[in-house]
Amino acid sequence: MNNEQQTTGNEQTGVKPNDGLIVLKNLTRRFGNNVVLDDISLAIEKGKTTVVIGPSGCGKSVLLKHMIVLMRPTSGEVYFKRQRIDDLDSLSLNSVRAHFGYLFQAGALFDSLSVAENIMFPVSQHCQITRFSAVEELVRNKLKMVGLDGLQRFYPANLSGGQRKRVALARAIALDPEVILYDEPTTGLDPIRSDTINELILKLKGELGVTSVAVTHDMKSAYKIADRIVMLHNGKIIADGSADNIRNHPDPIVQQFIKGEISKKELEQLRKASAGSSVRLPCDVED
Amino acid sequence: MIGTAIFKIGEEVGNVGQFGRFVWRSAVTSMQSIAKSDTYPLIWAQMLLIGVRSVPVIMITGAFVGMTLAIQTYDQLAGMGLEEHLGVLINISVVKELGPVLAAVMLAGRVGGALTAELGTMKVTEQIDAIESMGTDPVKYLVAPRVLACLLLTPVLIVYADLLGIIGGWFVSVVHLRINARAYWSFSAAGVELWDVTCGVIKGFFFGGALAVISCYKGFNCKEGAKGVGQACTDAFVISFISILVLDFAMVVIFKTIYSIFWPLKSLV
Repeated sequence: MNNEQQTTGNEQTGVKPNDGLIVLKNLTRRFGNNVVLDDISLAIEKGKTTVVIGPSGCGKSVLLKHMIVLMRPTSGEVYFKRQRIDDLDSLSLNSVRAHFGYLFQAGALFDSLSVAENIMFPVSQHCQITRFSAVEELVRNKLKMVGLDGLQRFYPANLSGGQRKRVALARAIALDPEVILYDEPTTGLDPIRSDTINELILKLKGELGVTSVAVTHDMKSAYKIADRIVMLHNGKIIADGSADNIRNHPDPIVQQFIKGEISKKELEQLRKASAGSSVRLPCDVED
Repeated sequence: MIGTAIFKIGEEVGNVGQFGRFVWRSAVTSMQSIAKSDTYPLIWAQMLLIGVRSVPVIMITGAFVGMTLAIQTYDQLAGMGLEEHLGVLINISVVKELGPVLAAVMLAGRVGGALTAELGTMKVTEQIDAIESMGTDPVKYLVAPRVLACLLLTPVLIVYADLLGIIGGWFVSVVHLRINARAYWSFSAAGVELWDVTCGVIKGFFFGGALAVISCYKGFNCKEGAKGVGQACTDAFVISFISILVLDFAMVVIFKTIYSIFWPLKSLV
């Protein structure tokens, strides 16, 4: 897939397992009668950062969870390094997942474990620890990478939102993964903390050479970290290209989303719906 | 209308199937965990939380069961001049039925509720997904240690409940109601067999396993939000409670049949 080539829809229908490090082929996911992902085909290139954008509830996080098979598709296939992974049993999947790091939207740190124990968790699950000092050194090193060395003994409840995300990022990179999946990495953070996370994502890509997939609706973050941006709408990919391609995309839905503007039609509907809807409280509010 | 009913029945059958798979997976994973020493620290930690910290409340439950039984039954037996048989009545009730069942119900409330709330919160905050995303089986890491701890320690806790029930019954009967201690204990020794105590303790394995698996399943499948976690805890307790009663009835029937086969004359007496 050439990033410079702007696409106007889901044009990767004919993807093959060797088209990328992660390949989603004709992926469909339904929840009851609700089709969240509709015949999506997407190849994630090795060493690049792909950002998936789209309105809230459009299935971005569901798409991300399918890449690591935290959810199984209703139909379609998922490949990692040319190997089909969506039909593997849980034991085989565990060894595949060791190649991934996953940053969850709210961090998903384990409340009952300290910062150091959280970072040690994936290491203890996949490595035979012979020297505790080596693990301590690894934890220190990972925390240094996210600028939080010294917080080893703290518990998640004692950390701010930004610190929690950075600790979660340190945990995600504990096993030096080949792929890092970011679920809304900047949501809920102030602009400065958001930019810190963006810089960390760029730093990890530069230092570790990881392949990254991020889902976000923060366009500032998307433009900063993306080599390629993919937009989801109503379960389908409606735009796919570089940051510049997306900025100049002809589709009005894409333009409306990236500019963060409500359409005139929707505004008119909202005004009509709210006209005359002011209702007095049924009682007096006490001082 | 009929369509909705069929859909609901289908959904319930699906849920039962899902629960069955969860029980099977938990059982297999728990068996495997016993063979792996790296899971022992997790099991010890759960044993402390589930077992050791439940001892006081279980002892209080047992003691009050014994004391209440003594007060309730004294008048009837005394009316027939059989008050010295009070010991056998109290102790057999405690070790065979009330001790195991009430201790298990108490554990379903104390331990089951806590397990569901903990795992449910982990589910809604994506911590269970995080465990899975790091290539670790959440059933192995979270469920197996809890199931094993409940399975192994519920019978032990039942022994504590029995012991305190016996002491409570003795205290009220002998110290408060002035029944002859020697007669009290000799009738008890004649009436309560090792078989009765064993039946009560064996029930503990099944009660502990059932309440742990049900609570973990409800936590793993809890719906979003505080309401979802609260509902899961309520469901876990209600289903555990009913399961304890059903299992108790089933085991009483089985134990009675076994007893009749091996000691046919005794069962007639």
